[in-house]
Amino acid sequence: MSRRFCYIIFLFCFFLLGTTLFYYQIVKGDYFSSRARNNYMHVLPIVSLRGDILDRTGEKIAYDRPVFNVAVIPHHIIAKREKLFSDLSELSGCKKTTIERNYRTLMTNHFSPVNVITDIDKSDAIALMEAFPEDLIINPTPKRFYSMPYEFSHVLGYVKEANVFYDKLKKYGYKPLERVGISGIEEYYDSYLKGEDGGDLVEVNAQGSVVGYIGQRSAIKGKNIKLTLDSGIQKAAYDVLGSRRGVIILMDSSTGALLSMVSSPAYNPNYFIKGSNTGSFLLDKNAPMLNRALKSAYPLGSVFKPIIAVEALMSHIISSGTQFNCTGSFKLGRAVFKCMHVHGIQDLRQALAHSCNVYFNNVGMLMGADRITSAAYRFGFGNYTGIDYPNESKGVVPSKEWKRKNIKTAWYGGDTVNFSIGQGYFTVTPIQALIAVNAIFNGGYLVRPYFISEIGGENAEITARKYIGTDSRFLDIVKNGMWDAVNTDTGTARLLKKLGFSIAGKTGTAQTRGKAHGWFVGNIKNNGLSYSICVFLENAGSSSEAVKVCYEFLDELKRKELL
Amino acid sequence: MKIRLRTEYIVVICVLVLNCIGLMSLYSSLHHAGMFSGRDIFYRQLMWMAMSWVALIIVSSINYRTFHDRSYLFYGLNILLLFAVLFIGHESMGAQRWLSLAGFTFQPSELSKITAILVLARCFAAVRPENMRRYFFIALGLIMFNALLIIKQPDLGTGLTLPILFMLMGFSSMIKKRYFIILSLLVCMTIPFAWNFLKPYQRDRLTVFVNPNVDPLGAGYTIIQSKVAIGSGGIAGKGFLSGTQNQFNFLPERHSDFIFTVVAEEWGFLGSLFLLFIYWIILSKILDKSKELKDNYARYLLMGIAAMIFIHVFVNIGMTLGILPVVGIPLSFISYGGTNLLMTMILIGLFLGACRE
Repeated sequence: MSRRFCYIIFLFCFFLLGTTLFYYQIVKGDYFSSRARNNYMHVLPIVSLRGDILDRTGEKIAYDRPVFNVAVIPHHIIAKREKLFSDLSELSGCKKTTIERNYRTLMTNHFSPVNVITDIDKSDAIALMEAFPEDLIINPTPKRFYSMPYEFSHVLGYVKEANVFYDKLKKYGYKPLERVGISGIEEYYDSYLKGEDGGDLVEVNAQGSVVGYIGQRSAIKGKNIKLTLDSGIQKAAYDVLGSRRGVIILMDSSTGALLSMVSSPAYNPNYFIKGSNTGSFLLDKNAPMLNRALKSAYPLGSVFKPIIAVEALMSHIISSGTQFNCTGSFKLGRAVFKCMHVHGIQDLRQALAHSCNVYFNNVGMLMGADRITSAAYRFGFGNYTGIDYPNESKGVVPSKEWKRKNIKTAWYGGDTVNFSIGQGYFTVTPIQALIAVNAIFNGGYLVRPYFISEIGGENAEITARKYIGTDSRFLDIVKNGMWDAVNTDTGTARLLKKLGFSIAGKTGTAQTRGKAHGWFVGNIKNNGLSYSICVFLENAGSSSEAVKVCYEFLDELKRKELL
Repeated sequence: MKIRLRTEYIVVICVLVLNCIGLMSLYSSLHHAGMFSGRDIFYRQLMWMAMSWVALIIVSSINYRTFHDRSYLFYGLNILLLFAVLFIGHESMGAQRWLSLAGFTFQPSELSKITAILVLARCFAAVRPENMRRYFFIALGLIMFNALLIIKQPDLGTGLTLPILFMLMGFSSMIKKRYFIILSLLVCMTIPFAWNFLKPYQRDRLTVFVNPNVDPLGAGYTIIQSKVAIGSGGIAGKGFLSGTQNQFNFLPERHSDFIFTVVAEEWGFLGSLFLLFIYWIILSKILDKSKELKDNYARYLLMGIAAMIFIHVFVNIGMTLGILPVVGIPLSFISYGGTNLLMTMILIGLFLGACRE
């Protein structure tokens, strides 16, 4: 008999235990410590309320309201998960696949509640709770709600929980449940609106019940934001546009405060909050998600004429008395550029009132392409307006160099002719058109358009303006032409005369692929206040549609005494 | 004479130390979120401990030759009890292991651990070169019959301790080594077939032993949380009553089979090593003692006692560390469980009795 065998076995096995202990407790001790900590220490997030967004009258147009989520604790329901989800699905009417997907995607660890059914009514939540009192937790969370979803859709944007695109956002310090503004005011002023999420740091046991509080940080509500927009005007603009594709912008002429900006067709941001029925908006060929007012550039057409006129007067190429004879067309070599009518002898004021192409073709040829390019830049085209809205478009201001670089051909005389009446490669956003024309009416200043009025109850209006460097004499000459466009019987916008406001403006029919775009950009003076307006209709056929929409819009404002 | 007394003295002190560690760990493991919620379990264990000491003293005062003479009788009685369990035993947690006797419930399978040592010691002590084969098969047959009855309950863990005991004692005996080697090879060959006889939960345990992350919330849960508890103890541990895995209830069965995680989490690497050291002293002292004894039967008896304690310690700690599959084997002296404590203390009593002669 020998003890040696037992000795060796015992020694070997004890050595094995000792080294394994060494490995787990010393070598991997920190790793297991953090795993243990993750087990019992939890931050139960308290989602902060997002700031409200108000219109200028103080009406809430975007705010948080509570919805109810039903949560489970994974570790708690291991055995009965399948059955529980089936029962839940049956009782709540929520698809089982949705419940399972929520469970999979939202689970962070086995001991924290996971919202499997989101966004249900309080009564439904309580009914579920009564059916499965052991397994469910009710989790109320704030949800964004837009009271006038279509009217304000493009201006406000919407919010999404950061976990949807968490990979991109986490480097900016967002937490998964935090809501992030997507486009519009919600995105631009996200840092003010979002507030700070709080949380309870708690100790939990394996059943997921809280056994001790370590600390709490309360959530801080985001700042309320008051806009310069007026919900009444916004509604009128949206209703007037109806099923048309187009834009109405109304702005305070001297400050740049926007009273209305509607892009049609619009979408319903509430659907994006809920995450349902969004496909119809995303796939619609009319692109309801696109804010046409400042994210898309179009040819400006005749609305460019007042700008050409100011530049030509400034550089003394023409004077107010300069006349050209409109024979119905302008000839350059063998090319013929048609006018709308045979206007006969026209001076500048008449040419603006009648929107005579031949007159401005002549002026343009006298100016030359370079001067037209600089006129466009002088009035802010090809640059950002600086509006407090993310990702506005710059449009395109062509030049000889630009054409060489981008089209790879030389600049021809025909390009100058086209450019002189706002056609060709020249594209602008409606907001740029408004700012440019507005400068003629406010004494020569390019204003920075803005939405913001107050942040957290404090005035946040910053008017910034840039002088375009021209004599008010020249502006007055052009203004007169635009006054005549509305207030004479032959003017292109004479329909607006009936309204009884003091209106001046310029129409534009911009040729493009398909039907022409219709423009009307002008200025309204009423009760000592001056507003600029831009109506743009995509593929409307002609400017008369735009004038008609403008008429209906202003008529509505007049009727409701909103202006 | 002087040396002999010291050996026994050391072993008794070590057992006392283990009793203390056991009570402390049990006390801690019965807390839940700062509340001593398992009071009755703790007092029941205290009572068992007192009874165990009485049993130890009684057994140690009996001449061990008495047990030698009645080895087969005890074995037979135990087999009868196991049959009784199969028919009238009461069921708990899916297994039929317990017999109720005057209000107390106890597991006859635990008793098998003693009777198996007795019967094996008697067999191996009787081995002569000429009857080697006969005793090998007698011992093997008795053990396997006993083990199968236990596995039937089902209690795979306890059932497997008997064959392991047989191998450990057999290898040290006079029987030729090749018998055991051939037996081992045969067993290895039948392992794939044994898979079919396992219960579903036993298969799950083996699957998660290979990879616990297969089912982290189900069968793999215990072993993952057990490793986290042990690993997070670090060098010096989190302190008495401060183990988070333990206190916040992340570990199931932590007062019984997984009590080692409580020790490792709250006392760290140093505490765990200390515990292993105490066990090592007991094992080595018993083995050392066996060399000094003249009587063959007593020597095998001591070896069996050491082997049995060793099997419990190694398999239990190995299982909490994830280096052995999860089987229901308690940690001697420490785990909650009256029958096992009583059984282990009787073994120590037997050791003391054998030393006294």
